[in-house]
Amino acid sequence: MPSIKEIKKHIKGVESTLKITNAMYLISSASLRKAKANHDKVEPFFEKLRYSFADIFHHSLSLEHPYLDQRPNIKEEDRKIGYIVVTGDKGLAGAYNHNILKSANESILQTKNPVVFVIGQMGRSYFTQKKVRVEEDFFHSTQEPTIRMAVRMRKAILEAFEEGKIDEVWIWYTDMVTPLQLEPKLQKLLPMDKNLFPYETEKETYKRTVEYIPSPDVVFDHLVPEYLTGMLYGCLVESYCSEQSARMTAMDASTKNAKDMLKQLNLSYNRARQGAITQEITEIAGDGLTRD
Amino acid sequence: MSTFKLDILTPDRNFFSGNVDNLILPILDGEYGVEAGHEPVVAVVEAGMMRYRVDGEWHYASVSHGLAEIMPDYSVLLVGTAEHPEEIDQMRAQRAKERAEDRLRHKCDIQKYHNNTTALARAVARLKTSKHL
Repeated sequence: MPSIKEIKKHIKGVESTLKITNAMYLISSASLRKAKANHDKVEPFFEKLRYSFADIFHHSLSLEHPYLDQRPNIKEEDRKIGYIVVTGDKGLAGAYNHNILKSANESILQTKNPVVFVIGQMGRSYFTQKKVRVEEDFFHSTQEPTIRMAVRMRKAILEAFEEGKIDEVWIWYTDMVTPLQLEPKLQKLLPMDKNLFPYETEKETYKRTVEYIPSPDVVFDHLVPEYLTGMLYGCLVESYCSEQSARMTAMDASTKNAKDMLKQLNLSYNRARQGAITQEITEIAGDGLTRD
Repeated sequence: MSTFKLDILTPDRNFFSGNVDNLILPILDGEYGVEAGHEPVVAVVEAGMMRYRVDGEWHYASVSHGLAEIMPDYSVLLVGTAEHPEEIDQMRAQRAKERAEDRLRHKCDIQKYHNNTTALARAVARLKTSKHL
């Protein structure tokens, strides 16, 4: 049986850990709320944008544009496929980082020429360890995603795509289905095709004769960057919310565990204390008896 | 006069939502007027001053680059930024204008030239809109 001093030390250790996990729980719930509010503010704009996009796609049949070019003459083994992987900057978020990295790594291993863009420190160190080459210049943090950040990312991605450094762009992010159900998801960003935009044709009939000023190509030129920014921002926020939610769950569980542990420790501390007292009394009583 | 619904959205906020009877937008080759029953159009909006009329009263706003979706019974404006005249900092816009003009006097590459001209357009639009306070 451990001594009273040892138990006391253990209790102190657990108590300070409890303080940390509890604080982390509170912090992530606050961040989650903030990120969600931000997301809700931006959502209508990009929702409308997505809708206009689908509109143009389904009404302009002869649209030709670099961003629509599927590059069919590049052979399967030469295709360079860009993956954007959104991970967290920090650990202690349950299985959040593990899940997204595992799925992303699998798809990267299956591709002949992957080009990996990592967002977040955890992903960066993971791929460095796995000896997967990541793009060095693409350095972004996942803390509190902003539109400005999404714009910078979009510029880098479009540049690489236009220069032919990559032929396809996909993004791995974590979708928050419910706060407890987080799913890694893969989404295609470039080149675009009609299948990416589901559209109900019967909904509004007079849209068939939409005119584009000055021309569909120019309108499209303006739409694509905005659309991509919206997509990237959406994925970043979704991942960030997932990360915070995962951390909340993890920290809640560890706070609970710490509390259970404290209960046990207190019990054994009291037992040990009582044992010591009983022993002392017996000793005194024994001492008295022998003196008589 | 018949009205139509107008929504002006930016990533930051829902700038305006309501019924208007006339709308004038800055587009690539000048100003573009819209009334109810307009043919369906999607147009690229340039940085500039836009105005819309509610109950016979004109309202002014400066907008940056974006997109307008015009339908017979409603219009949606998706722009990067939108400001009411009272929100515009005149001094700041004036400084931005001078800075852009100054930079345009020097030789620079096509990308910088493009950036400077759009900055200038934004500053001029703000100044113009702020006069309508």
